[in-house]
Amino acid sequence: MDPLYIKLAFGGLALLASIGLFFGIGLALAAHKFAVEVNPKVEAVKEVLAGAQ
Amino acid sequence: MKKDVAALMTVFLLAAALLISGCNTPRFIKKAEFKETDLIVLTFAGPVDETWAGDSTNFTVNEKPDPDILLDIRSVGLSADQTRLTIEFSEPINQDQPHQVIVKEVLSEGKNLGTQTISVSKSYFGYIFGIFLGALLIQNFVFSKYLGLCVFFGTSQKKTTAVGMGITFTAVIVFASFMSWFLYQFVLKPYRLDFLQIIVFIGLVSLTVQGVDTILRKINPGLFKAFGVYLVLVIANCIVIAVPLILADNEYNMIESLMLALGAGLGFLLALFLMSSVRERLDFADIPVSYRGLPIAFIVAGLFALSFMGFSGMSIF
Repeated sequence: MDPLYIKLAFGGLALLASIGLFFGIGLALAAHKFAVEVNPKVEAVKEVLAGAQ
Repeated sequence: MKKDVAALMTVFLLAAALLISGCNTPRFIKKAEFKETDLIVLTFAGPVDETWAGDSTNFTVNEKPDPDILLDIRSVGLSADQTRLTIEFSEPINQDQPHQVIVKEVLSEGKNLGTQTISVSKSYFGYIFGIFLGALLIQNFVFSKYLGLCVFFGTSQKKTTAVGMGITFTAVIVFASFMSWFLYQFVLKPYRLDFLQIIVFIGLVSLTVQGVDTILRKINPGLFKAFGVYLVLVIANCIVIAVPLILADNEYNMIESLMLALGAGLGFLLALFLMSSVRERLDFADIPVSYRGLPIAFIVAGLFALSFMGFSGMSIF
């Protein structure tokens, strides 16, 4: 196979993986920084309810 | 905190706009513009030689994308004060395309100023306004491209939901298409990965939605409550993926892509608003049983699409 294509493929893999990693870490940091305290009772009540809907 | 972000965004946008508008150096050919259907008028900074201007072989004109195809010039005329030159073509020219005029060996008051090139295009403001209005009305994504129908029928039952969805959608699509424009121009294209654009854009859209969701929840809970359900629905809308693909296809620059995204978002808002106004009234109408609900909504959407066809083929500037 043409080495150009192989280079393109691996370059693309590395590039997209790094973009994904970058944005993933960004989202995780954002979720951490902008975390909203949720009352644990809300979840507990939801658990107990029938939950057909 | 919010003010800081807004200020930063403004500074960034201003800098980008300055970069794009570029630096215009002063030239001997002051202005070049289209007139009527087959004329280009050049304005010079000083008087030019009459015999030089009378020779039409001194001028070559081509459409910018095809430099090989020269347009046929019928005659060249000079105004009385020798500063305005009119090039007449034997056929009407396509003024939607930018044209390139090459003027050989400009002679002015006995001096040879060398060969000069200038490009002629319609006014840029008119062009970007045309893109905006095209996405909003003429090529409305819902009524003439039939995109985003699922969300369109799902959220157009009540006016309040329709407007909420429309506004959320506009905000998300502007942000998402800006990001995908940036990624396409500066990452995908230079590394020749543009065949992966669909996958990358899908990822970007869901990333944008997730990001807006997370940040809005903390910063502005009121707005988050108003956006609420619709924010997640935006992912399922195909207009939000169509716009980045169109941007990538047409090689739009930043301002053009922002205008297209804004037009698409507001067009969707308009479509939702119109549809919900009708559907609210349909609730009181006496409709045959088998047509109630979705079937009549489809018929109404078809009628809207018919009336939006009235915009087709319109050009504003």
